[in-house]
Amino acid sequence: MSDLAISARGLGKRYQRLARSEQHDSLRDVIGAGARNLFASKAAREAREVRNSFWALKDADFDIAKGENVGIIGLNGAGKSTLLKLLSRIVTPTTGTARITGRLGALLEVGTGFHHELTGRENVFLYGSILGMTRAEVAAKFDAIVDFAEIGEFIDTPVKRYSSGMYVRLAFAVAAHLDPDILLLDEVLAVGDFAFQRKCMNFARQLERRGSTILFVSHNMFSIKSMCQRVIYLKKGQIVFDGPTAEGLKRYEDDSRLADAPWFKEAGEEGRSITFTKVELLNGRGVESNVIDFGDRITFRLHYKTDGRIERPDFRIGLDREDLIHTMTFSSHQDGVDIPSVEGEGVIEVRTPPIKLTSNFYVANLVVRDQKGGMLAAQIGGHFHVRHPTLASTFGVFNEPADWRVQAERTAEPVSEVSRGVG
Amino acid sequence: MSLAEAPANAASPQVTEIRPDRGLFDLDLGAVWRYRELLLVLTMRDIQVLYKQAALGAAWAILQPLFAVVIFTIIFGYFAHMPSNGIPYPVFAFAGVLPWTYFAEAVRRSSTGLVNDAELIRKIYFPRLIMPLANVVSPLLDFCIAFVVLLILMGFYGIAITPKLLLVPPLMVVAALLALSIGLWLGPINVRFRDIKHTLPFIIQIWMYASPIVYPITMVPQQWQWAYSLNPMVGVIEGFRWAVFGQGEPHFTSLAMSGVIITILLAGGLVFFRRAERTFADVI
Repeated sequence: MSDLAISARGLGKRYQRLARSEQHDSLRDVIGAGARNLFASKAAREAREVRNSFWALKDADFDIAKGENVGIIGLNGAGKSTLLKLLSRIVTPTTGTARITGRLGALLEVGTGFHHELTGRENVFLYGSILGMTRAEVAAKFDAIVDFAEIGEFIDTPVKRYSSGMYVRLAFAVAAHLDPDILLLDEVLAVGDFAFQRKCMNFARQLERRGSTILFVSHNMFSIKSMCQRVIYLKKGQIVFDGPTAEGLKRYEDDSRLADAPWFKEAGEEGRSITFTKVELLNGRGVESNVIDFGDRITFRLHYKTDGRIERPDFRIGLDREDLIHTMTFSSHQDGVDIPSVEGEGVIEVRTPPIKLTSNFYVANLVVRDQKGGMLAAQIGGHFHVRHPTLASTFGVFNEPADWRVQAERTAEPVSEVSRGVG
Repeated sequence: MSLAEAPANAASPQVTEIRPDRGLFDLDLGAVWRYRELLLVLTMRDIQVLYKQAALGAAWAILQPLFAVVIFTIIFGYFAHMPSNGIPYPVFAFAGVLPWTYFAEAVRRSSTGLVNDAELIRKIYFPRLIMPLANVVSPLLDFCIAFVVLLILMGFYGIAITPKLLLVPPLMVVAALLALSIGLWLGPINVRFRDIKHTLPFIIQIWMYASPIVYPITMVPQQWQWAYSLNPMVGVIEGFRWAVFGQGEPHFTSLAMSGVIITILLAGGLVFFRRAERTFADVI
């Protein structure tokens, strides 16, 4: 048993979900509710408690061996953060137990614990202590931390004068030097610019080589793929998959598609008249896939179903980057495609131009508007990655090669034209 | 990178058990001891932050009680001719305001500190008990600064210092423990109900006038003395004056009362705090 870093049995957390009218934000409300409760039977009280609660995490059983890197995936609200908070002892479980062997470091949010009025130097000691380091430890690692954060002479400036990038870099640098046996990471690698992100990834790999155990929550499937051999897939608070990364990601990606995202239908009342029952996402080779190579055309095959007849609908596919940047929209109206009406069931196939979005994670949103621009439907149509070895978000949203003319000074060399190299 | 040569912490792996219920009397004070450096660091933070970007800086530690003393001297000493047991009224008042200011500040900070650091509570684990502890320790610095001013003031009025002055630290420990035991109750309640934050200034003000700060304890009618000494701060303030001025008698009944109240509130407060602590992150 001693080679287990984390061992959880039946771990669960139940939260009270109070209706707004039942929220007790002040003493007066509580006294009122208490008086009402006085006259309610015990059974009725308990029934209400169960009705008003939900399990953020339920019956989680898993063992994580020392040195293992495990990715935790799931949609928002699936219980990923709750799991990390339970393991890091920020919240107390409702049921179950977990046994943690070794020093645990949790990075649920970079920089909480920093005090704005204090200087970078003071904050390094403050944050280090909050994360569980001794002062001597922080002092010994101080130079390495400042070095890693690339803060330089700003170390004695109050952090309120820092740019957000500097702030996050310094906070991550402190946390990274915690040297934990077990590291819980919640999306924090997605901070800073590209160079710093790479530095963080390298650091995580170094921890890995040292034999640290890493639990990693992310929506970025590429990070998960490159870091973890195993994933735990959470769905509505329960572990639905625990095993090899490739298989888990496949299940997650299947589930992330339309069929399991009906909760996203947030269109108005009349918006019920059209829904997408299935969306297929085909890559450049016409194969169903969530990985698109830069420059490929994507084909969306939208299976729809209407309740009635819709005149001149405007079908739109919007592509949002992971950080919610709305990158582009394809619209049937805008593209001059006349769809006189739709009724019943049918399929619309949309083939995009070559996608020149930089390498990242994207969400396709499906929207249908009526003639007057009113929203009839809004659903998530799928997620996909754009793959390119070098073109990441440091290159901006989209990339198209330019024509370059390079003229060396003081030489008689003829002007050389560098031809474009797509790839 | 220092990672490569860092020892792999393999010596004695620490094992943490996470369970729903830790039992009523499992106070886990060992964890507080393990995090004792954090106590120091959070105390330092409170001190460093307090007077940052204030042009007068730590001078406020002196100015605040001094202003109070000036006002009291004008109103109670000059207009109302309040007796002060033969000691010049400003010094008399100052010797009452000093321990009181510390106590009021310690109660205020330890009752509201958890909420002020809600972000920390929500995102990072550490023994929450560290928070009220740091809040009670940090205003001691202000006290020390102002205490020096009191000694200077006494020199100015020609009041001699006696060896009884050595009893000031133990009296301040009593004040600190009293503030802590109140903070242990009000802090968790404030996490749930912010009403505490709004009620506290009134409670503290009423409590101040129920303590012998602007008037001597001899002003209290004989038949009410017993009720008066139920106030645990009476013993601290009277004891403080006795230690500083070296005259009269310490109020032993009230000091004993402080002891009893501290014992009950502190023991209950620790249990209460530990129970409430488990849901801090959920409700804060």
